[in-house]
Amino acid sequence: MAETRDVIIVGGGHNGLVAAFYLAKAGFKPLLLERRAQVGGAAITEEFHPGFRCSTLAHNTGPLRADIVRDMQLEKHGLKLTTPDVSTASLLPDGRALVLYSDAKKAAQEIAQWSQKDAASYADFGTALGKIGKVIGEALLLTPPNIDSPNSGDLWGMLKTGRSIRNLGKKDLYRVLRWGPMAVADLVAEFFDTEPLRATIAARGIFGTFLGPWSAGSSLVLMLRAAADSSPNPSPAGSVQFPAGGAGAITQAMAAAAIQAGAEIRTGADIAEIRVKDGVATGVVLTSGEEISARAVVSNADPKRTLMRLVDPAHLTPDFVQKIKNYRCMGTVAKINLALSALPEFTALKAKGNGNLLQGRIQISPEIDYLERAFDESKYGNFSRQPYIEITVPSLSDPSLAPAGQHVMSIYMQYAPYKLKSSDWESQRTALSETVVKTIAQYAPNLPQTILRHQIITPKDLEETYGLTGGHIFHGELALDQFFTMRPLLDWARYRTPIERLYLCGSGTHPGTGLTGGSGANAAREIAKALKK
Amino acid sequence: MPAVSSGTKYDVIVIGGGHNGLTNAAYLAKAGKKVLVLERRHILGGAACTEEVFPGFKFSVCSYVVSLLRPEIIRDLDLPRHGLEILPLDGTFTPMPNGDHLWRVNDHGKTHREIARHSRVDAEAYDEFGKAMQAMCRFVKPILSMIPPDPATLNPKELMKLLFIGRRFQGMSSEDKYNQVQLMTMSAIDFLDQWFETDVLKATMSASGIIGTFLGVRSPGTAYVLLHHYMGEIDGAFRAWGFARGGTGAISNAIADAAREAGAEIRTEAPISRIIVKNGRATGVALTNGDEIYADVVSSSVDPRLTFTKMIEPGHLPDEFMEGVNRYKFRGSSGKVNMALDGLPNFKCMPGIGAHLRGAMSISPSVEYMEKAYDEAKYGHWSSHPYIDMVIPTLTDTSLAPPGKHILSCFVQYAPYKLAPGLDWDTEKEKFGDNVVNTIAEYAPNIKDIILHRQVITPLDLERDWGLTEGNIFQGELSLEQLFFLRPVAGWAQFRSPIKNLYMCGSATHPGGGIMGAPGRLAALEILKDGKGA
Repeated sequence: MAETRDVIIVGGGHNGLVAAFYLAKAGFKPLLLERRAQVGGAAITEEFHPGFRCSTLAHNTGPLRADIVRDMQLEKHGLKLTTPDVSTASLLPDGRALVLYSDAKKAAQEIAQWSQKDAASYADFGTALGKIGKVIGEALLLTPPNIDSPNSGDLWGMLKTGRSIRNLGKKDLYRVLRWGPMAVADLVAEFFDTEPLRATIAARGIFGTFLGPWSAGSSLVLMLRAAADSSPNPSPAGSVQFPAGGAGAITQAMAAAAIQAGAEIRTGADIAEIRVKDGVATGVVLTSGEEISARAVVSNADPKRTLMRLVDPAHLTPDFVQKIKNYRCMGTVAKINLALSALPEFTALKAKGNGNLLQGRIQISPEIDYLERAFDESKYGNFSRQPYIEITVPSLSDPSLAPAGQHVMSIYMQYAPYKLKSSDWESQRTALSETVVKTIAQYAPNLPQTILRHQIITPKDLEETYGLTGGHIFHGELALDQFFTMRPLLDWARYRTPIERLYLCGSGTHPGTGLTGGSGANAAREIAKALKK
Repeated sequence: MPAVSSGTKYDVIVIGGGHNGLTNAAYLAKAGKKVLVLERRHILGGAACTEEVFPGFKFSVCSYVVSLLRPEIIRDLDLPRHGLEILPLDGTFTPMPNGDHLWRVNDHGKTHREIARHSRVDAEAYDEFGKAMQAMCRFVKPILSMIPPDPATLNPKELMKLLFIGRRFQGMSSEDKYNQVQLMTMSAIDFLDQWFETDVLKATMSASGIIGTFLGVRSPGTAYVLLHHYMGEIDGAFRAWGFARGGTGAISNAIADAAREAGAEIRTEAPISRIIVKNGRATGVALTNGDEIYADVVSSSVDPRLTFTKMIEPGHLPDEFMEGVNRYKFRGSSGKVNMALDGLPNFKCMPGIGAHLRGAMSISPSVEYMEKAYDEAKYGHWSSHPYIDMVIPTLTDTSLAPPGKHILSCFVQYAPYKLAPGLDWDTEKEKFGDNVVNTIAEYAPNIKDIILHRQVITPLDLERDWGLTEGNIFQGELSLEQLFFLRPVAGWAQFRSPIKNLYMCGSATHPGGGIMGAPGRLAALEILKDGKGA
């Protein structure tokens, strides 16, 4: 029997890597085990066609939490983030486009062409989001308090947040309370008259969720996004940052930082089971049969995968198992990556200079009703025939991703519900891709002729290839009932599980809002504290 | 009738003689205040009224069942002595298109067997669910009788109220906490999915989560409204849902009677044109006939849009407050179809006259049916396959129709106030009514042969005739961002307004709509509290 390891981290997604780094910094010797041949989880760059590389899944940072970038010295480890001039180009069926710039002044100028009033509101909304976001941002740093008996640390944290909340002033405080449960369609309507502007911003409240813009609580998602945005003047449409080399460059830099801090990383190590003895996690068993024992096990996998599959549920109370079963985790996003022989021409952008305007996010979210109708289909188990789409062309800012003159296009498609009503994803794969290409071709007619290769990733693929239960890119629905002290479950939001020495550090824990590293960093802090006792 | 001399001065003028306005007046009069209630229509009750729409047929025209009327109000105002009698409404019958049905009644054993016919697991879960909901009700109930705290202040008294809620929350078992949090945040269907597998059971139960809102059964925030179904039961004063003998107007009349007995004066057909404001203070009202009546306090039971944009001249209210008023969402989503019948409907799935006709009959055959009904409304169309909740009160209260005849009262959702471009309610009205009849006929084909008269009430009618802005039956949506300390406007949930001596006491204030009376009572208590200090 080999030595007993200090801490084993199951899964090398970005949160696992962040947790490995901080645990190593805290004096532990974490061993991170990744099932696939490369670390990165949902933040990876892969060659999907000879000479064409693309962020396979996530194509934009969360954005990463600034303190994590600093602590891990990610820039020193090779991470280069660029902020494109254009943050979002939102395409309309009538051939126009609403272009939002990263620079607030330029954004206002563009919006003024649609509505003077909206240009002013855009700045107001940004300021309000920034103020509120800053306060919520503090809560994102916290370990959610213990509901039953908050300890002094919890109280101190809450007190600090409480004080910042009070400092918001009455108006913004009420905004936080009122906005949280609102439908994002209502929220944007309170600020803007221009339909495409409303829809483009509202899309942030529904991305990755099983909500439509008219669903209550979609404003909360928008607020969480804004809170994760560390830029002092966040743009209402969301800031855009691209890592050179694609999303994989982020996790490669994280892995380098973790190794330098003293963590060990093994890839190709597929875990069959987390071993539990007398209610205590004692190590893991790999599919190869190898057993590794450890003082503690930290899982970067989602809560369902961790507690229903990696752990034998017999170790949990039936009541807890029931609750984990009910944890909502039905993905709605599909990803399609295209290798292109040339840059497609977008009708709406031609007049304004195609290339420049394509550097940010390109969105198909022309009106609120369009988004809502796309959502409607998914409620009944069909994928949207007119989907909400978010595109990036990363080869524009990083030409190394494709052969000279050629490009890669990274496309998020929503809604693609994990559970199809009268079909399965294997048989719908081509239909999905055709729908996406056809939808984009309405705005860029020559797209089909430039496609060399499709990479189609359905929600089923997200589950099978990337280990995301239900194909949910956030490890579980981001909603009022699965948020903060309730993520993943009420009373189990503190990175612990009912199994002693088994911890969670993935997006299924607070704050869990995408590629930010927040869950990993928060979890490492709690785990270090617990293990040092 | 002695004309009210415009020289008489009152302590309080209550605008609107709906059940909340009347409750407000009764409490104030009982405390010794000189109170005048002014009602625009020819009868009292607002949306809780009984009218003889067709000769011999008396309808609870709008609101038609009662469950939430606060027991403390029944006690304080001694309503049974003033004629209030609640008759039980036994069970809910849901016909299904496949010829089956679901019929839940107040008899526990019967309901258990009935649900077990659809699913054994669900029959067991149904008991557990009932218990869990009662625990939730115990938590929520005191909040209904509470003046909402102002979380944005540092006033220790306000913070104590929050602490009180916090402590009660702490005091629950972790199981109940878990349920409570879910109930406040989830959609009705997501919540019910955790308990049940039978589609029709979930569909029918979820219906109570959407009544009067512009939300679908899958919209987050609708689980909370499910609680209302369980609220009546634990008070022990009456059964879960019931009819008032004589229709819902009888409730209003009993409250009015109590108010008069305490000395309140009530005038009908007295529409108000404006609230008189002098130096930032409300000093009385002007009627449309030009009369001015003065009072120390004006208490408005009509909704905030009517009160602050129609009855107050611009310039008296701060911009920020008006922003809140203008943002307050109404979005009526339901209509009513009342029918005078020559006989009783004969359901294909349960032919003949039976006890199933005595309770509520619910057209809510599947979750998908309910959600699709909502989808149409989102884009401005009334549902081609609507959710319908119907009752035949004449089976319980024969005084409402001539012998052998019946009335059928149908609550219909969705009927969006704002129709898609090119459509308007005046031309859609009868088509909407026809569709309701056709929908019922799918389950009870004889309905078409027994209709003597039909009254269709659209959201536009509710606005024009009953003064319910945008036809919202609760004077504003019961959505999370419009509840408790956010109702109707953040910072103004304590029944006061930026104008001194002008109060709100209608359903647009905490705890909201339904024949509950709580807003009227709570507002009266606040008015009296302020009066003591002055």
